[in-house]
Amino acid sequence: MSVSEHLRQAAAEDAFDGVVPRHVALPERGEELAQILADASRGRQLTVLRGGGSKLGWGRVPSRVDLVIGTEKVNRLLAHRHGDMTVTAEAGMRLADLNRQLAEHRQYLPVESAFDSATIGGIIATNDAGPMRHRFGTPRDLLIGVTLAMTDGRLIKAGGTVVKNVAGYDLGRLVSGSYGTLAAIVDATFKLLPIPLASTTLVATYADGNALAHDVAALNGSQVELAAFDISVSSAGRWILLMRMASSPAATAAQAAEARRLLSSAPAAVSGDEERSLWDEQIRAPWADGGTIVRLSWLPSHLPAVVALLSRLQQDGCDVDTFTGRAIGSGLLRLEGDERAIVAGIATLRASREVGHVVVLRATPRLKSQVDVWGAASGAIEVARALKRMFDPADILNAARGPI
Amino acid sequence: MNQRLVEEFRHAIGPDAVLTEPVQLVTYECDALPHLRSMPELVLLPRSAADVQAIVRICNKAGVPFVARGHGTGLSGGALPVPGGVVISLAKLNRVLDVDIRNRRVTVEPGVTNLEITRQVAPFGCYYAPDPSSQQVCSIGGNVAENSGGAHCLKYGFTVHHILAVEAVLASGDLVQFGSPLADSPGPDVLGLLIGSEGTLAIVTKAVVRILRKPESVQTLLAAFDSISEAGAAVSEIISAGIVPAAVEMMDAVAIEAAEAAVHPNFPPADTVLIVELDGPSAEVAELFAIVEAICQKAGATKVEIAQDEGQRGRIWKGRKAAFAAMGRISPNYYVQDGVVPRTKLPEVLGRIRALGEREGLRIGNVFHAGDGNLHPLICYDERIEGQSALAERVAGEILLYCIEAGGSITGEHGVGADKKEFMPKMFSQDSLDVMQSVRDALDPKRLCNPGKVLPTPRLCGEVPGPYREHPVERAGLAERF
Repeated sequence: MSVSEHLRQAAAEDAFDGVVPRHVALPERGEELAQILADASRGRQLTVLRGGGSKLGWGRVPSRVDLVIGTEKVNRLLAHRHGDMTVTAEAGMRLADLNRQLAEHRQYLPVESAFDSATIGGIIATNDAGPMRHRFGTPRDLLIGVTLAMTDGRLIKAGGTVVKNVAGYDLGRLVSGSYGTLAAIVDATFKLLPIPLASTTLVATYADGNALAHDVAALNGSQVELAAFDISVSSAGRWILLMRMASSPAATAAQAAEARRLLSSAPAAVSGDEERSLWDEQIRAPWADGGTIVRLSWLPSHLPAVVALLSRLQQDGCDVDTFTGRAIGSGLLRLEGDERAIVAGIATLRASREVGHVVVLRATPRLKSQVDVWGAASGAIEVARALKRMFDPADILNAARGPI
Repeated sequence: MNQRLVEEFRHAIGPDAVLTEPVQLVTYECDALPHLRSMPELVLLPRSAADVQAIVRICNKAGVPFVARGHGTGLSGGALPVPGGVVISLAKLNRVLDVDIRNRRVTVEPGVTNLEITRQVAPFGCYYAPDPSSQQVCSIGGNVAENSGGAHCLKYGFTVHHILAVEAVLASGDLVQFGSPLADSPGPDVLGLLIGSEGTLAIVTKAVVRILRKPESVQTLLAAFDSISEAGAAVSEIISAGIVPAAVEMMDAVAIEAAEAAVHPNFPPADTVLIVELDGPSAEVAELFAIVEAICQKAGATKVEIAQDEGQRGRIWKGRKAAFAAMGRISPNYYVQDGVVPRTKLPEVLGRIRALGEREGLRIGNVFHAGDGNLHPLICYDERIEGQSALAERVAGEILLYCIEAGGSITGEHGVGADKKEFMPKMFSQDSLDVMQSVRDALDPKRLCNPGKVLPTPRLCGEVPGPYREHPVERAGLAERF
């Protein structure tokens, strides 16, 4: 196996955060990926792992990048065990392609991405998820096994292909949210869900956030089981609540009726293609235009305080262009306008007691140089760093960029 | 254990929190896997996280291994004391610290029992979802260590899906919070690594758990079949109809016989019974339950009983949950195995288990979570017959090999512990095991935190069990080690 045949000089389109990497490697098999990684580690080449490249700019600005290892050719569907409702796919397979294939057996991986090019490896490494996390959690909650390429070239496995399994350490969980700092994900096995028999979404609009927060609390305290439950506010100040019911046909209708009863304003109902594009738009909205994107979390009961905090940001001159949030207490904020006001706004968010885990996902390199995109490191991050020293002793993987 | 060290522990956590008398120590020589026993040298009963830190720091300095223990209900010898080491019982850290219904979070100390959480939140219409059979007595700390499941994990997942954060003492003695009551803590999911690490990476001193609203409706049916393959086909049909039941359980004729002898659930005569439970909004349950019933009839059920009320539902579950203990009614001794196969391989693997039992002359009952392929073969034997204990153990091991060959796992919920670590190389490559060992070494470089569990005797530099030393109790002829 020759590593060099997979290596090429990087081109302008390989640049991210204003940095052009020196080389790009595009292995086709896990063994090749592991070999390239081992060579990079021996040569102490600062390496960034890339899936579809959709979230490559998330993280600190690198001083230099010697090598990008792209997984786009490591993209096979290895096994769809539809009777067991599990799937094993290689890291470079696109989430959208995977779900297209799974749909042939009326199954799906209930994870959404704002990006068409998002890959299996990338969604695990960032643990990024969409509105359906309300019911199904984030990718790590569905992950049941992984193959990893270690920086010394070993290919190892953790977990397995069965949905229930407690043998050995759950290294799949460990690489979830690691942003490519520990090892390369080669393939992953997930448990799957049946595509719901029916689905409908209610859309309620509000003139002010407090009325919306009131309805969120009412739904949270009810027997309505939502598959997705989102909040958004536009710069026009119109608040929107999206509630998706997905179950059997009669149950979906009954749930929608119950939700209507609880809401303070009459919602519109959408289903079919219209429903699909509504959610697609909701997921993509924060990323559609430029601007700085910040992720933040809150306790569900603090939603009214979060609403107040957003208006305070506005008053301070930080233009909150859009805010989309999951009712479980996690959201994305798109900030526009003056750089200094945005930096001040991020500081305000971090200082507030209403929100936590304020992470800057997308920003210009210049803005990123003025804030720590990850925020203050916790004790758990220190433990993760001890693990990184073992996984990546040469400190090449997303070094000084990722969360550890 | 040297007296100076004992004094140090007494000074740190109080003299009454240090047990040294053999009669006190004997309680801690095993967990619920009694064939693995080892007398601890010392048992420590901390009352706070600070006590746990003090103990671990002393152990760290002196190089003394330590084993954390919840309520000792583990089934893999995870809390088995190690020679030359101490046992840290978390039983006295048993306070419920916070109940936050609005945010569906409860904060507890590790010694709180699983069921106690549900008791605390039941008045508000909520419950804690993971329900291992031992839920009345098992501790949350132990559940976190083992990533405990239960009968309802097909729909609701395992402990890992219900823990938002823990505070834990590392082998260094440092107290660290992992995870967060808020979503999306940045960085690798170290919390997810700790959950299910069987007490080998840290000692949990606090946990924030997620609670759920009690489902509006629960419907349970029991279907009798003439063969396991018919029952298996029914399960496949239910799943491929797009239905995710809250629980799908199966029992074979041996297990039915035992359950009838013990708790008289009055199951219909059958080769196999299937229990299916749906929960959720009333309209959904009503609609899907009718489909499940029709599937069972079509698959050849000789009888379908639908629980009409909570009493009938309780009776069905009593028969199912009592099945383990009930084996004592039909066999002097029995061995509970825990393995997993892909659900579609259930009929094939059960056929192999049946043939194995016939070949070896041992009755094997099967009670299992059919929805997720988690088998619990119950191997009947009589220890008074020479060689039968060893035979039962060998048969239990053979069953694990069947599970691995079918693409499954050596444990679905009981853990590896001290019991199954030698099977780990059959499931994982040496490289994979070496990396797991390195993870352990990164957190516990001196290898003091529950050594000798989960991973097979490591190749890297070997667990350090220390020389065998006769315990005073053994010397006095009061106990023996085996």
